[in-house]
Amino acid sequence: MDMLCISNLYKRFGDKEVLRGLQLHVPQNSIYGFVGKNGAGKTTAMKTVLGLLRADAGEITVNGERVVYGQTETNRYIGYLPDVPAFYPFMTAREYLLFCGALTGMLHAELEGRISELLALVGLDGETHRIKGFSRGMKQRLGIAQALLGKPKLLICDEPTSALDPVGRKEILDILLAAREQTTVLLSTHILSDVERICTDIAFLHEGVIAASGSLAEIRTKYRRNLYRIETEEASQCELLISHLRGMQRVGENQLSFCEEDCSLREVLRFLSEESISVIRLEREEPGLEALFMEVIGK
Amino acid sequence: MKALFAFIRKEITEQIRSGRLWLLLAVFVFFGIMNPAVAKLTPWLLELLADSLAESGMTVTDVTVSAMDSWVQFFKNAPICLIVFAVVQSGVFTREYASGTLVLSLTKGLARYKVVVAKAAVLFALWTACYFMGFAITYGYNAYFWDNSVAQSLAASVFFWWVFGVWVIALSVLFSTLFQTNTQVLVATGGSAFACYLLGLLPKVKRVVPTLLTDGNALIYGTSDAQAYTVALIVAAVTAVACIFLSLLAFNKKQL
Ligand SMILES: Nc1ncnc2c1ncn2[C@@H]1O[C@H](COP(=O)(O)OP(=O)(O)OP(=O)(O)O)[C@@H](O)[C@H]1O
Ligand SMILES: [Mg+2]
Repeated sequence: MDMLCISNLYKRFGDKEVLRGLQLHVPQNSIYGFVGKNGAGKTTAMKTVLGLLRADAGEITVNGERVVYGQTETNRYIGYLPDVPAFYPFMTAREYLLFCGALTGMLHAELEGRISELLALVGLDGETHRIKGFSRGMKQRLGIAQALLGKPKLLICDEPTSALDPVGRKEILDILLAAREQTTVLLSTHILSDVERICTDIAFLHEGVIAASGSLAEIRTKYRRNLYRIETEEASQCELLISHLRGMQRVGENQLSFCEEDCSLREVLRFLSEESISVIRLEREEPGLEALFMEVIGK
Repeated sequence: MKALFAFIRKEITEQIRSGRLWLLLAVFVFFGIMNPAVAKLTPWLLELLADSLAESGMTVTDVTVSAMDSWVQFFKNAPICLIVFAVVQSGVFTREYASGTLVLSLTKGLARYKVVVAKAAVLFALWTACYFMGFAITYGYNAYFWDNSVAQSLAASVFFWWVFGVWVIALSVLFSTLFQTNTQVLVATGGSAFACYLLGLLPKVKRVVPTLLTDGNALIYGTSDAQAYTVALIVAAVTAVACIFLSLLAFNKKQL
């Protein structure tokens, strides 16, 4: 069963249509990467799932239950880490987690142990200061801790690593990876290397709809293009190639790249030998997600 | 229930740690002492000024003060205390809107109505505690210096003023769920109370508007009896309950 189902979701702000028939199915126990450029509507979609924003049309179910705007029923399945988490500054991290636990109705005895465990997990154990003085990174860690507190079935993280240094980022990704055992994770991000590192599935949000989605492997095969890079001895030889062959793109002083679909490798090799062009390097490139993303959104 | 109590506890902790509780206690204690103090000092002040008053043609005869003067002060200072209370507490909702702190509580499954109930309950409790503490201090001094029995219908007049405070707080809770900033809340609350006051100047509606409840002097001097306040009391109670009820509805639909 899908943990989260979004079908035909529409949302507009004024005359700006942000979501235009969004479809998203997040399978159980996946780590689902939700990728889109700034302003694509990732946060909007997530807030609608939490019942914090009213959808103009469409249906959302969490664990098979319908989400209703303004009601919080389905939120008992969800742990949420907002893009900029805001806590009560006058509490300490432990007090805040105790407060959260009481809100979800957890038993005090169970809560104490769970909180110590989580504070250790996110590296905030021994932190007795009030949240007022926390750095962004510390708040992000506390955010992860509160999201995981109730052992949610669905963990929604809005750009969980954007405020963190490389070490902190790795730690958070490891926590999410470990959380996968018990939960389903939906995480939005622009950082595609993070997606490559931990995600099992991915969806690209573009112009209000999912432009491409599937498991990481599926996406790779679907959008695989044979991309080559060629380096010649002299710049003038590049000019020659550009003027005679289709799809040659300059990527450096005397470097070109081309795609097998535009111009076959055989054709290029024949031209190189006919014209006696001295080649320093000719290699095949493995496109990263970055390139895939550009490809999907048609850039 | 557990969630509601947790949220109430958070509200109380916030009142204490932000210093708002102590500030309000200090203000109410101060006025509680000032009411009898001003009455006590009046003859002495007049004596000091007697010479200059005599020059301008006024003669100061022996002034005797009683608990009455202190209670008049009480009803004069009560509005100041209520205004301080309303201003200090005007951000109880709006501060959370601005910082976004409610979002996480609500996504934890806290029902929205509990937010309103908890905040309103803490405000009412705080108003009650502060107001009656101020009253108790004034009453105590009055009993020590003079005799409180000269003031007629004292209990009723003090109770009515408390109800008026509850009414104003209920208004501010409603406006807090409708508006986004504490300035808007204050302007709307103050505006409504002032509009009532203006309405109350019309003889026909005088007995109906909640602002009548603030006229404690008429009661203690016996120029009016408690029965005359019944309609205003009912109107205040009904509108206060309605405000809380409407604020629950408004808060359910509020975008956070
Ligand atoms: N409350 C709002 N009122 C008006 N417009 C809004 C509101 N919230 C979001 N928008 C608009 O909706 C669009 C999508 O915003 P959203 O925050 O969902 O994007 P995002 O994908 O999360 O971007 P980012 O990567 O920068 O976080 C933006 O153009 C934004 O201006
Ligand atoms: Mg966002």
